[in-house]
Amino acid sequence: MLKKLLVVMVAAALVVAAAGCAGGGKSDTIKIGVQGPISGDWALEGQGFVKAVTMLAEQINAKGGLLGKKIEIVQGDDKGDPKEASLVAQKMVSSKVIAVLGAYNSSATEPAAGIYNEAKILHITPSSTATKLTEKGYKMFFRTCFLDNRQGMFAADFIVNTLGKKKVALIHDNTTYAKGLADWTEKFLKEKGATVVFNDAITPKEKDFTSTLTKIKGLDPEVIYFTGYFSEGGLLLRQARELGIKAVFMAGDANNNPDFVKNAGLEAAKGAIITTLPLPQDLPYKEAKQFIADYKAKYGKEPESIWTLTMADAFRVVVEAIEKTKSTDPVKLAEYLHTQLKDFPGITGPITFDEKGDRLGSVHTAYVVNEKGEFVLYKKQ
Amino acid sequence: MQEFLQQVVNGLTIGSIYALVALGYTMVYGILKLINFAHGELFMIGSFLAFTLIVSANLMEHIPHPVAGLVAVFLLVALMVAVIGLILERVAYRPLRRSSRLAPLVSALGASIFLQNAIMLVYGGGYLVFPENLVPNIEWSVGGINIGLMRVIILALSISLMLFLYLLVQKTRLGAAMRACSLDHDTARLMGINVDRIIALVFVIGPALGAIAGIMVGMYYRQINFTMGWAYGLRAFTAAILGGIGNIPGAMVGGLLLGILETIGAGYVAAAWKDVVAFIILILILILRPTGLLGERVAEKV
Repeated sequence: MLKKLLVVMVAAALVVAAAGCAGGGKSDTIKIGVQGPISGDWALEGQGFVKAVTMLAEQINAKGGLLGKKIEIVQGDDKGDPKEASLVAQKMVSSKVIAVLGAYNSSATEPAAGIYNEAKILHITPSSTATKLTEKGYKMFFRTCFLDNRQGMFAADFIVNTLGKKKVALIHDNTTYAKGLADWTEKFLKEKGATVVFNDAITPKEKDFTSTLTKIKGLDPEVIYFTGYFSEGGLLLRQARELGIKAVFMAGDANNNPDFVKNAGLEAAKGAIITTLPLPQDLPYKEAKQFIADYKAKYGKEPESIWTLTMADAFRVVVEAIEKTKSTDPVKLAEYLHTQLKDFPGITGPITFDEKGDRLGSVHTAYVVNEKGEFVLYKKQ
Repeated sequence: MQEFLQQVVNGLTIGSIYALVALGYTMVYGILKLINFAHGELFMIGSFLAFTLIVSANLMEHIPHPVAGLVAVFLLVALMVAVIGLILERVAYRPLRRSSRLAPLVSALGASIFLQNAIMLVYGGGYLVFPENLVPNIEWSVGGINIGLMRVIILALSISLMLFLYLLVQKTRLGAAMRACSLDHDTARLMGINVDRIIALVFVIGPALGAIAGIMVGMYYRQINFTMGWAYGLRAFTAAILGGIGNIPGAMVGGLLLGILETIGAGYVAAAWKDVVAFIILILILILRPTGLLGERVAEKV
């Protein structure tokens, strides 16, 4: 008896739920999903996603919407967890969104991307940089962030064209990330005709790197580029100066930390250059200034991070595709993004996608440590 | 040649730290035949206590002369760590002295984990950074070899401490008592030596030297965290074996040699291979001389 009652109740619940879904589908809105860690360790980032997209959607709705329809945002909290991410993805599919923007971290984006691709829903991540995500041949998957190798491209270009140096020593720490960055930099440096006199690892967690640095001193490079983390970066820099190495010291984005300067000491840190993603307020584009001003007016503070801005760009790209194709068919939108969209004026710079869905170009920039030990934008003298 | 000499100087700096820490291992082993795995932690605690005195307690501000301030930091920290060493011996090792040789070893490992986690709980798991300019930023360049003031201090202080210890052990009555204990506890007791006292003394000198090494690492590299004792402890232990464990000049030679081998491995092969180079040489030495470089042949006790 009790079992029967339960079955009836579950059935009833399903019918109600299905009706709810169908009702949603019929309403005159364009549904766009936002997926990210709205709670949990990266909650700040996930909430930044929601805030950015909500604000832009409100702006469009206030002007009468898209193709005469209002935009409706559907939130999905995956907590940055791959298991939660696939649940969120299934929920998104059943609520009939045309596009999903997210997730934040690569390991949450990966399972979701498969589900969206299967369901033919446009999927754009603003922040998952793992190379393998675009290696699966998903036609519906894009990203408005840049692959890990773009920092190497930027660093090589900066060394050769901005600093005008040709003789470079690369130091990494054998982690996948740092070695990858060093190897990419080497490849791009060689393409630009520079010579790489040294590309080898130090052991992380150690404190004394004088032996490696003495070896480098003998090779007499013009630039030393360290691609590992700040805990070793600061020590390397100071020991290099103590050994009398005069080369320009550059370090990768994992050194974008006040402890880098503290470890090196002000004297040695002064003039060191960090390649990294820019702070939102340091972006040169007028779209960026507009977005940040709107964001501050609405939420009373700066955007949470650069990923809030790439999320806004993901949303703006979808809007652009809908406007240009006059369609809300995700397959058509994806095709437009693959083939038609060229140098779209994004908040984080011009946006063009390649055939894999990766964004071309790079948004990295260089900061230099000033007399007070602060990171300021590098300006060519 | 210039580069080679620079590498030797680099190696001597690292090596003298290894040697100071190795002395703690070797002295305890010499007398108790125990490997004090918590010794690396005492070294680490030395640098944390120095950090507290300099940064949190602002000790340097209260003492008029900077050199006097530094001396005060060294003495106070060495004293505090020596007390911790004494407590360690009393709590973790003395109750187990009559049990099997394995029991104090396990106890030592336990003490090491305990101390590491205690420091993590008190100071947190991240890096702490010593202030700049504790020692003026003076550098010399002699024939193309660069050396900073702090490195000179490290070399000079460790070598004088080692000399002091050597003279203490070889030339004084106390040293004779220590040597007697390391040969045979029971016979030493028959000669009227208070063996417990001598063991306590070893647990004062060893940790104090380790603490001084810890302070110098903190001041020179300026970056400390609660796991640093393990890496230095392992190297110092290796250095003690290289020189012949239980032998005090052996620990000094072993430490300096290991430091030089490492830098030459890193400088002329690759940084990733420096431990391989150092440990291949260790294995070779142990095959040729199983008791270490200066280890003495011990007659089998029957």
